[in-house]
Amino acid sequence: MSGVNLSGIVKAYGALQVVHGIDLDVQEKEFVVLVGPSGCGKSTTLRMIAGLEEITSGDLIIDGRRINRVAPKDRDVAMVFQNYALYPHLNVADNMAFGLRIRRMPKAEIKTTIDDVAEILGLTPYLDRRPADLSGGQRQRVAMGRAIVRHPKVFLFDEPLSNLDAKLRTQMRAEIKRLHNRLGVTSIYVTHDQVEAMTLADRIVVMNDGNIEQVGTPMELFNNPANTFVASFLGSPPMNQMKGTMTATGATVGDAEILIDGASAANAGRDVIVGIRPEHVTLTAQGPSSALPISLDLVEPLGSEALLHARHGDNAMVFKADTNGDISHLSGVGEVHVPSHLVKLFDAETGQALTLGA
Amino acid sequence: MQRWNLYSQGDKFFAIVVSILIGMFTVATLYPFIYIAAVSFSSGFAAQAGKVVLTPIDATLEAYGYIISDPKFWISYRNTFIYTIGGTIMSLLFIIPGAYALSRPQLKGRRFFNLFIAFTMWFNAGLIPFFLNMRDLNLLDSMFGIILAFAVNAFNIILLRNFFEAIPQSFEEAARMDGANDFQVLWKVFVPLSKPAIATITLFCIVSRWNGFFWAMVLLQSEDKIPLQVFLRHTIATLSDDDEFAIVQTAAGFSAETVTAAIIVCSIIPVLIVYPFIQKYFEKGILLGGVKE
Repeated sequence: MSGVNLSGIVKAYGALQVVHGIDLDVQEKEFVVLVGPSGCGKSTTLRMIAGLEEITSGDLIIDGRRINRVAPKDRDVAMVFQNYALYPHLNVADNMAFGLRIRRMPKAEIKTTIDDVAEILGLTPYLDRRPADLSGGQRQRVAMGRAIVRHPKVFLFDEPLSNLDAKLRTQMRAEIKRLHNRLGVTSIYVTHDQVEAMTLADRIVVMNDGNIEQVGTPMELFNNPANTFVASFLGSPPMNQMKGTMTATGATVGDAEILIDGASAANAGRDVIVGIRPEHVTLTAQGPSSALPISLDLVEPLGSEALLHARHGDNAMVFKADTNGDISHLSGVGEVHVPSHLVKLFDAETGQALTLGA
Repeated sequence: MQRWNLYSQGDKFFAIVVSILIGMFTVATLYPFIYIAAVSFSSGFAAQAGKVVLTPIDATLEAYGYIISDPKFWISYRNTFIYTIGGTIMSLLFIIPGAYALSRPQLKGRRFFNLFIAFTMWFNAGLIPFFLNMRDLNLLDSMFGIILAFAVNAFNIILLRNFFEAIPQSFEEAARMDGANDFQVLWKVFVPLSKPAIATITLFCIVSRWNGFFWAMVLLQSEDKIPLQVFLRHTIATLSDDDEFAIVQTAAGFSAETVTAAIIVCSIIPVLIVYPFIQKYFEKGILLGGVKE
């Protein structure tokens, strides 16, 4: 079993603690994405797994073996770096063969391995080229090839697509996913891009300020964020969050009342944060819903849909609406309809998700 | 169509002043070479009379004929090659690993060691203690002593250390993930990536060793161990006062001046030959493409 288990992992630089005792269990063949804002500790966590940073305390177990003090080369993990880190003086084949030669793999076997991986990654025509003669996407593929040829137990990806342009990033994202499906190697992937996290992950780990905020499948996190941080981090645009007060049937936001499934008199008067996903609203009432009056600031057409930037009282919010090829009908929008079963509630003080009727 | 003048009057004036200064510097640097070469190919009478300015007067190869017939010249020439090649290799063997170690953040006591190395750039023990030290180590009048004693140069270590420090850390991390140990990271990644810096240091070492005069004069007594520069000094010091030589030179058409100049020309040529071979390593952008900046 090539699972990765982190138990109470702490990282401190002197008195400054940057990772505060995280626990995570990555199953064999699973693709786990660590996501969070800059400085949240996700890359540090990945580097601790790689052996590039010392673990201050806690246990790191790979394949059933505690490896806190094992050198990177002996952990049987391979890493793809954000900046590629290809050896510029070596051609593509030699870059991929570097680790194999150090491990004294027979020449014939090295050649077969390189040829196979180059074929998988579409690098066969470029094996004699140096990194400087490759495009960004090709370099990133070489970086992945260098990791793949070693057949490691675990792949570590440190924001591997962040240096690529948007189009290439989309292509490479799909390639990484296909590659994982094909190779089935346990993978831990760090990104600050929630789209990458949503599309690639079997499970997402949302990190903030050195702590894990929530672990779950992409749809679990999207549909049931554990707190306002997760709610605001996943989704594009993020969930609208407005201060409100519970009533017997829902919550008041500004001078409007939003109906919420499960609301009861028992919670009435409680201060909450009301969360509404931009894509959950409709322009006309459809099923149990409530109308939220808005004043429209801006319409941003994206093609098949448009973003409506609006205000309700002091609350700024963004909604998505279908354009059907025309945005002229959107400029006069004065209210949106919020389905009662899709509204999320969070505690106003702690920011933790509230479950009604439980 | 209007043409934009990209250069102001001030820029043009600056360019002219810079060109004049560079021209003067070039002449000042080149002239001694030209003069020495001209003297070496001139007759002894012309050189003694101070007639040589830019080109050889009464051109002759007599001075060269005289020095190549002297076995001591060839012995000193051989010695200089030994000191230069051996010394440069020895220097690189110390400087490259030393600079690498000092460039690594994880080296314990790194600040202290860096300060310690830099300290020797400003302060050293001085002539007498150094001489006594060499005597006590039994390295006086020893060719190996000359090679060993000047193997480590603080300036070169600091130069290479700074270059190593500028290499992105992810190269080292990638190599470590690939299974490389410290030695392999250095020789398989850092050294190939540092060719321009190592070429520079190699050239410094070669030139410094080739021109090494003072310590060779102080530490070496045997004539069969002295390098070319010390042989040159002996030649300058002795030929002028040598009556026998005065008779020979008058007959042969060379003088102490032309022989000295010929030895200097012979001592310059190897360095001039080496430079183009090293120059190819001063390639730009060796790190290009390895990491995304």
